[in-house]
Amino acid sequence: MNRNSDKPSERGAAGLVNFDNSATTFPKPESVKRTVYTAMNRYGGNPGRGGHRLSVETAGQIYRVRRSAAEFFGAQTENVAFTPNCTYALNMAIKGMMQYGGHIVISGYEHNAAARPVYALTKRSGVKYSVARIFDSPEKTAEEFDRLMTPETRCVCCIIASNVTGRILPYKEIAEVCRRKNVCFIADGAQACGVLDVKLSDGINFLCTSGHKALYGPSGTGLLISDGRYSLSTIIEGGTGATSSELAQTPFMPEKLESGSINTAGIIGLGAGLDFVRRKGTQRILSHEKSLCRQFEDGLREIKNVKLYDSDTLRAPITAFNIGDRDSQEVSQLLAERGFALRGGLQCAAVAHSTLGTTEQGVVRFSPSAFNNSGQVKRLLAAVRSIA
Amino acid sequence: MKGANQNRRIYIAMTSITYAMKAKDILNRLGYFCEVERTPKNLGSGCGYSLRIKDNPDLITPQLDRYSLPYKGVLYG
Repeated sequence: MNRNSDKPSERGAAGLVNFDNSATTFPKPESVKRTVYTAMNRYGGNPGRGGHRLSVETAGQIYRVRRSAAEFFGAQTENVAFTPNCTYALNMAIKGMMQYGGHIVISGYEHNAAARPVYALTKRSGVKYSVARIFDSPEKTAEEFDRLMTPETRCVCCIIASNVTGRILPYKEIAEVCRRKNVCFIADGAQACGVLDVKLSDGINFLCTSGHKALYGPSGTGLLISDGRYSLSTIIEGGTGATSSELAQTPFMPEKLESGSINTAGIIGLGAGLDFVRRKGTQRILSHEKSLCRQFEDGLREIKNVKLYDSDTLRAPITAFNIGDRDSQEVSQLLAERGFALRGGLQCAAVAHSTLGTTEQGVVRFSPSAFNNSGQVKRLLAAVRSIA
Repeated sequence: MKGANQNRRIYIAMTSITYAMKAKDILNRLGYFCEVERTPKNLGSGCGYSLRIKDNPDLITPQLDRYSLPYKGVLYG
């Protein structure tokens, strides 16, 4: 591995140290930037839309990324669909499963990317939903999902790791309940993929994730990966480059879910992001980021009035905190003025904040990436002390 | 049998560009030459992709079946 080839050279236009990597990782690996540049220069055809070499060679590059993602998550290549982001993937999975009504169970930690489409379905299609409480015991949590399922339950949607606190939900146990009850299991892997070893063989029927977070791809990339067991109704139809003579939507994956031109340069860049994660190793990235979270949390515990959330649970590398009763957005603004980007407010996760009891105050979220270091955390702690 | 049909253009029409690419990937690894091309208009309908092969299709199609790669048929140009 050529480590220098991955080392980013920029801190960004704002000159901030980015500890808001759960929103999107920045900086990106040099290899990703170079690949996107190359893609813009060499692979300018529209894949699947022509017989000339420009199109076919671009399609070959897209296929390589699809295969890479399939290998990474343990799927068949054709069951990997590219989406603009995780929110699109979740909408396509949830609405594709629930289009004709029924009941869905979501967790008490869902992001709006899952909660809002479910809510919209209750208004438009008469879908019913239940919110499962999360307990300390994985077995008890799985039992809660089991208890909430009815004969009308068509699917369960569960975030793997909370985007607010990083808490890892017992998704494998929940998946097992779904398997036993013949209910589709949709997993939101936005904060998990790239730091946890998530595989479809964990019992996931649809894995939805972003490409631009811990997979280090460019923004505007996401993945919807199926294990092939369930067929989704489409929520977007259009040109797919296949079955063009028919008015009915292309019936097979992945073209079925990829109407319209795809984000070619972004997807090819995502391939470089996947390569970066593979080279570094998920476990090594997790270990590095967890050590930064530990350092940060140890420092926070020495500061008066700091409150940590879900700190005694199994978590992805995210730390959520507040300083006394101070508004989380005000705290994050003060930290930004001191050179650090952290996310305050509700992190687009109303359900999770309701569970945590932080709807009014929100939380300040610290989320490191593979490119942060201990010195940056030390300076951040000094900044927190200065405003506490 | 390899190379027996080099003077003829033989296509296997695939259902999608993704399956065509996957088939090419697998067949190349198995030692069979193939290229992904647009299905010639006089041979197919709509916007389809085919594998242009040089080997006897009777050798290729069992491999496609073995790897569950759907194809629409063998075409001769």
